[in-house]
Amino acid sequence: MESLSAATAESFRLLFSGDAALWVIIFTSFSVSVRAILIAAPFAFVVAFLMAHLRYPGRRAMIAGFSAMQSIPAVVVGLTVYLVFSRSGPLGDLQLLFTHSAMIIGQILLSFPLLVALSHAAFQAADRRVWETSVTLGAKPVRAFLTLIHEIRFGLVATFIAGFGRIIAEVGCSMMVGGNILGYTRNIPTAIALETTRGAFAQAIALGMVLLAMALLLNGLLAFFQGRGVMSS
Amino acid sequence: MSTIIHYNALRKTVHDRLLLDIDTLEIQEQACVALSGRNGAGKSTLMRIMAGLEMPDSVTVTLDGKTLPWHRACQKMRSHVIYLHQQPYLFDRSVTDNIAYGLRRRKLSIREISRKVSEALDWAGIGHLQLRNARELSGGERQRVAFARARILSPRILLLDEPTTNMDSEARNQTYRMIRQLKEDGVSILLATHEFCTVAHLCDVHLSLESGHLRPQVIDTASAERKIIPYG
Repeated sequence: MESLSAATAESFRLLFSGDAALWVIIFTSFSVSVRAILIAAPFAFVVAFLMAHLRYPGRRAMIAGFSAMQSIPAVVVGLTVYLVFSRSGPLGDLQLLFTHSAMIIGQILLSFPLLVALSHAAFQAADRRVWETSVTLGAKPVRAFLTLIHEIRFGLVATFIAGFGRIIAEVGCSMMVGGNILGYTRNIPTAIALETTRGAFAQAIALGMVLLAMALLLNGLLAFFQGRGVMSS
Repeated sequence: MSTIIHYNALRKTVHDRLLLDIDTLEIQEQACVALSGRNGAGKSTLMRIMAGLEMPDSVTVTLDGKTLPWHRACQKMRSHVIYLHQQPYLFDRSVTDNIAYGLRRRKLSIREISRKVSEALDWAGIGHLQLRNARELSGGERQRVAFARARILSPRILLLDEPTTNMDSEARNQTYRMIRQLKEDGVSILLATHEFCTVAHLCDVHLSLESGHLRPQVIDTASAERKIIPYG
């Protein structure tokens, strides 16, 4: 086993020498997670808005359900998607297993409850006068919704970042439905898991540093936007 | 004066309590109606129903002589009636953008919007604030922006929910002047207050909301005259 210092030095070399294999993994990670969050967030915001503004039977159960679903382990989501898309599964004919599409679907399912729960809190905390003022000034519901989104944008950006943070670092779901195929579905977390088991620490450390930098950046942004998310009257 | 809108048999229950039980309420053209009542009497709820922002248990709405079902009346009311909250909400954008908000919804040309906004800024005396973020303004300035934003849409009825609450005397007098100007522009006004004497000089009709019922009150013209604020 190579020494930790040698592995760390090698990891820096890999990162800054533009190692193609490493950067493909990084690109795959971001490509999949960015697409997943961009698809999930708009739907989640609409669901959260409806939950915050409409009164209907089962609303409280729905809110509690989304809150509870935040803690579903990634590997369970991965297992569910795997079973659905496996050859004998109900959507097996689509042949999506071990593709980017399956990884994106898994990450959408993983981030959706978190996005709904957090954005629901933002919508619920929004001033009721935003909607009423928009409507009384002649805005149609879609425009009033967009105005409301604009008014609570800092809270929603914080939600978006938290959702992205949840999926960029998850390993269980991507491993199961992506298959960790080199140069195709291997992303940062699955590559770290694999390289560590193989004893190839340099690449694992390099990828870990990318994830760590990402986590720090996301947390910094989260703190910034949560601070600005306080609504004034 | 002809009647713009007539609400008949308006009922509203809140938390199993009959909050509003109004047989008839009509707003006439160019009238200024004071709506008084203690806190919690249902003034704001009544105004929100009148603006189509809240649904009553039952009501019959007659607009310009035509009786309309509630959802149709709602759509119509929104183009004729503007409701201003007790503390108006200004969007997190510039004063100009706030004032132009309603005009943009009406799909006017940029030039037309710009001309009308400029006029509204002058009318409210807030031209110097046009580029400021509306959130940074004082209470009195916010109220002026809200009045300009409402007036620019040429509403037929303006519902003002205790517009001078928590204002100092200068801001209050400024608000009274704007209400008077709106009245002279031909806008009908319903003005909620829990102290009628403070707005008596502005109003033609006084309705008191007590236990869910509207009761017409006689305005003491002599005392109202004494409270007139100099115009201009």
